[in-house]
Amino acid sequence: MIGSKLFRKIRRVSPLGMLLYLIIGLAALLWFVIAGMPFFHMVLSSFKEQFEIYNNGVFAWPEGFYLENYKTVLQGGFTTYLINSIIVVITSLILILFISALSAYVFSRLKFKLRSPIYALVVACMAIPIHVTLIPIYMLTQRIGLYDNIFALIGPYVAFNLPLSIFILTGFMMDIPGDIEESAEIDGCGKIMTFFRIILPLSLPGMATLGIYNSVNMWNEFSFALVLTQKPANRTLPLAVWEYQGQYTANITMIMTVLALTALPMIIAFIIGQDKLVKGMMVGAVKG
Amino acid sequence: MSPASTRSLSSRQRSIIGTAALFLIPAFVVLGVYMFYSIFDSFRLSLVDWNGVSPDKTFVGLANWQELIGDARFRLALLNNFKVVIFSILIQLPIGMLLAFFLDTAGKKANVFKVIWFLPLLMSSVAIGFLFKYIYDPAFGLISPLSRMLGGKNIDLLGNPSLALFAVIIVICWQFIPFYMVYFLAGLSSLPVEIYEAAIIDGATRARYFTAIALPMLKNTFINAVILSMVGSLKYFDLIYVMTEGGPSGSTELMATYMFKNAFTTMRMGYGSTVASAMFLIITFTSLITMNIMRRGGDK
Amino acid sequence: MSRKVMSKIALLVIIAMLTAILGACGGDTGGTTTTAAPGETTTKAPDGSETTDAGNGEKVTLSFWHIQTQEKQAKLIQDSIDRFVADNPNYEVEVEPMQNDAFKTKLTVALGSNTQPDIFPHWSGGPMIEYAEAGKIADLTEYMNKDGYVDMFMPAGISQATYQDKIWAMPVENLAVAMFFYNKQVFADNGIEIPETLADLEAAAEKLKAAGIAPFSLANKTKWTGSMYYMYLVDRIGGADVFANAATRQNDGTFEAEAFTKAGEKIQEWVNKGYFNEGFNGLDEDSGQSRALLYSGQAAMTLMGSWIVSTITSENPDFLDNLGVFPFPAVEGGKGDPSGTVGTVGDNFYSISSECADIEGAFTALTYLLDEQAIKDRVADGKIPPINGVQLENPMMQTVLDLATKAKTNQLWYDQYLVPEMGDLHKDTSQELFGLTKTPEEVNAIMEAKAAELAG
Repeated sequence: MIGSKLFRKIRRVSPLGMLLYLIIGLAALLWFVIAGMPFFHMVLSSFKEQFEIYNNGVFAWPEGFYLENYKTVLQGGFTTYLINSIIVVITSLILILFISALSAYVFSRLKFKLRSPIYALVVACMAIPIHVTLIPIYMLTQRIGLYDNIFALIGPYVAFNLPLSIFILTGFMMDIPGDIEESAEIDGCGKIMTFFRIILPLSLPGMATLGIYNSVNMWNEFSFALVLTQKPANRTLPLAVWEYQGQYTANITMIMTVLALTALPMIIAFIIGQDKLVKGMMVGAVKG
Repeated sequence: MSPASTRSLSSRQRSIIGTAALFLIPAFVVLGVYMFYSIFDSFRLSLVDWNGVSPDKTFVGLANWQELIGDARFRLALLNNFKVVIFSILIQLPIGMLLAFFLDTAGKKANVFKVIWFLPLLMSSVAIGFLFKYIYDPAFGLISPLSRMLGGKNIDLLGNPSLALFAVIIVICWQFIPFYMVYFLAGLSSLPVEIYEAAIIDGATRARYFTAIALPMLKNTFINAVILSMVGSLKYFDLIYVMTEGGPSGSTELMATYMFKNAFTTMRMGYGSTVASAMFLIITFTSLITMNIMRRGGDK
Repeated sequence: MSRKVMSKIALLVIIAMLTAILGACGGDTGGTTTTAAPGETTTKAPDGSETTDAGNGEKVTLSFWHIQTQEKQAKLIQDSIDRFVADNPNYEVEVEPMQNDAFKTKLTVALGSNTQPDIFPHWSGGPMIEYAEAGKIADLTEYMNKDGYVDMFMPAGISQATYQDKIWAMPVENLAVAMFFYNKQVFADNGIEIPETLADLEAAAEKLKAAGIAPFSLANKTKWTGSMYYMYLVDRIGGADVFANAATRQNDGTFEAEAFTKAGEKIQEWVNKGYFNEGFNGLDEDSGQSRALLYSGQAAMTLMGSWIVSTITSENPDFLDNLGVFPFPAVEGGKGDPSGTVGTVGDNFYSISSECADIEGAFTALTYLLDEQAIKDRVADGKIPPINGVQLENPMMQTVLDLATKAKTNQLWYDQYLVPEMGDLHKDTSQELFGLTKTPEEVNAIMEAKAAELAG
């Protein structure tokens, strides 16, 4: 169906344009393969028995669709980890988006004396390497009694994703034309009203990007999950591969199963969320 | 100016500061608790000799910093980091931008592309590391057969010190292009539709719309992408650690992997903290300076 | 009005915010700078609700980390602990299996803040000495000697767990030595006999190379894999004392001894002759890239720890019949005893935290890791518990055990024997030897300089 539409379009353009379309189309397909292939092989490997990986090669077609891996993984702690991950990521994400939108508004739309140095401070926070914070944050978590609790992860997750989120959102808000806001202020909106009524809706594409990026980051985050939780009941998904990684060897097909299952909720979330990245939807929001 | 207007001005300024403070409080509480203290702690530990285990932390002043300045491995790591920065910016941003243009033009029809193109960002480093180790494997991989098909020999990428870094950079770019794709797509989406429609009515081609109208309007978005790529590359850790652990012969050592090894493998917590503090300073200054230069350059 | 009120509120909030930040910082600083006093166990979270008094029938909770994550092995340990709890109902043990690399990071964080678990594993050698020196682990000598319990263990295992005449850990998991494991089919097809000497080995390598097969399969991103070749060559050429003397700085020992140079030269000679598979320095042992070569017959043999038997049992059982084993051959004119082995008599050694409120109880728990049932289970899982007179079923494991018991000397892996800084340097330089990016002399000089520096 898409093909016929494309074809109709192509017929309307000149031969040179047609060639261009062809090149663009081929490049898009090429990238489709390059981007999708490793993922495809991850999923494919999850349907193999362990020995197949070595006997037939990693990139061979599975001998038969072997479902035991999925059974084993799902019978383990996977669902617990999944629920934990969902709770942590959603809570953190809401906090990140709200807090970063507030800050980004200040940095992009308000003019005051200390703005630049304070902004520089936020940028500096982006430069903090995660591993040095493990010990101090671990001790802090112990002290406030949150150790081995999934809610211990929310603080560090918000803190680590916040600087980058503020930074990105500030950039997006700077690109929102200034006159929109001025007219709102003339209409008698205060700064806070302007933020909620005008700026926030206009930033939705940026917020959607951030939402996607941050949730992917947190979904796969390993270091804090490792250090701040302990019991299997409090672990998140990235720790689920442990059970299949031994000291000198790893059960690769099982790990691929865990990782494929881990990616699935994110893919669904992306398919739903990426709608926000389509041109035009914000216009309605402004009018409304 | 009449006294009345100055008073209203200053009260306006006061209201701005009030709003600013109110809006910034949540962010700074979180950052204060988790980040400011951590980095302070890191600087404090950079002044001691500590194996991470012993109850004694010996204060050594600036000895660690002195060692760092003479440390050839750290310099190598820094150089590698800058190579990653340059290649990341040159590869990730343009491809990400092109993909975003394509998706922006094609709209909903290209949703399949959007989802598949996005997948690399979704995969965990464990899976990416494993699959690319095998893709690059000279005996079982996908690169060597390609090279043989073209009449060449098997290629050893990860084991060859002069190629390993480049091989890993390719994977890093592959992993992060989807981020810039989505990022630029968001930028393009936030441009008012009217501008696009007006341009097309004026007879501009799509290509002209992107280069002459959209790109300039996304100036800040673009500058920020450069900074993001830079900071991300200077902090990069994951895939390098999974794929090469900094080897062979230090050819893929980055500041972050070197820091991790010192702090967590060789039990030199003090020196590891020094490397981390240096990283923090280097990244902060590089990004702030770049930001200033680009903003100023953009204003002209 | 609203503006005035708002700016006042803002001011208040700023003050609150600043005090919150400073408060948090202040509190933290207090905790970390005062190097946690030994008695300060009130916030010792990994141990849960640890009660200080064990004697009066109150529940004692012990925390126990280990790295045997794979299903059978994790169950084996859990079963042991369950038996302990069944016999000692006033104990509760929180057993946490975790993945090897993750464990190392997590243990570092825990040790750094003095919240290590009551029982945890390590690999003896350098790190164990650091833990002992720092007072992090308890001296187990008294418990080990009680009723001659210690006599159950292989002496070599106990000596690995001993530092300054005290026993700091219990060798538990596995006796593992490095040996050549080979593809029988490939050897038969090319008419190769098991090599007795280095010359035989090199002759076999030439034959294999001529047949287009890589003689040695090596995945050296992992670094300790290549180190095995180096350690054996040093041992065979210079004898067992060369390395020990260099590492301990005794008897004029030095890393610039001839044996190190010769071992390095031999490795580089082999690399130049193409005895190793292509691209070995970029391949990862943990991802099975070296075994894949062995399975497919593209490589003939690999020098690997004897755990490879249980690895193959789980990942490619069909290949077991095709797997052969022989010890590292003798070197003509070398000082080393050809029976000498390189390996570990215990693999995982378990120590008890000095902060543990009930060290005796924790030790009793440890003994259940090697009770009759646990020994049986370990043997069934293809392991050799480091105790005397163990009965094995698998003939290949019996070969390993015979070799190890007959060995006049056993060299613990360099990277585990040395202090961590030296161990890591050894792994890096050994990888550079293989990569031909440093000469043996350069490597020796680097090792010697660091050893001298650390010796003060």
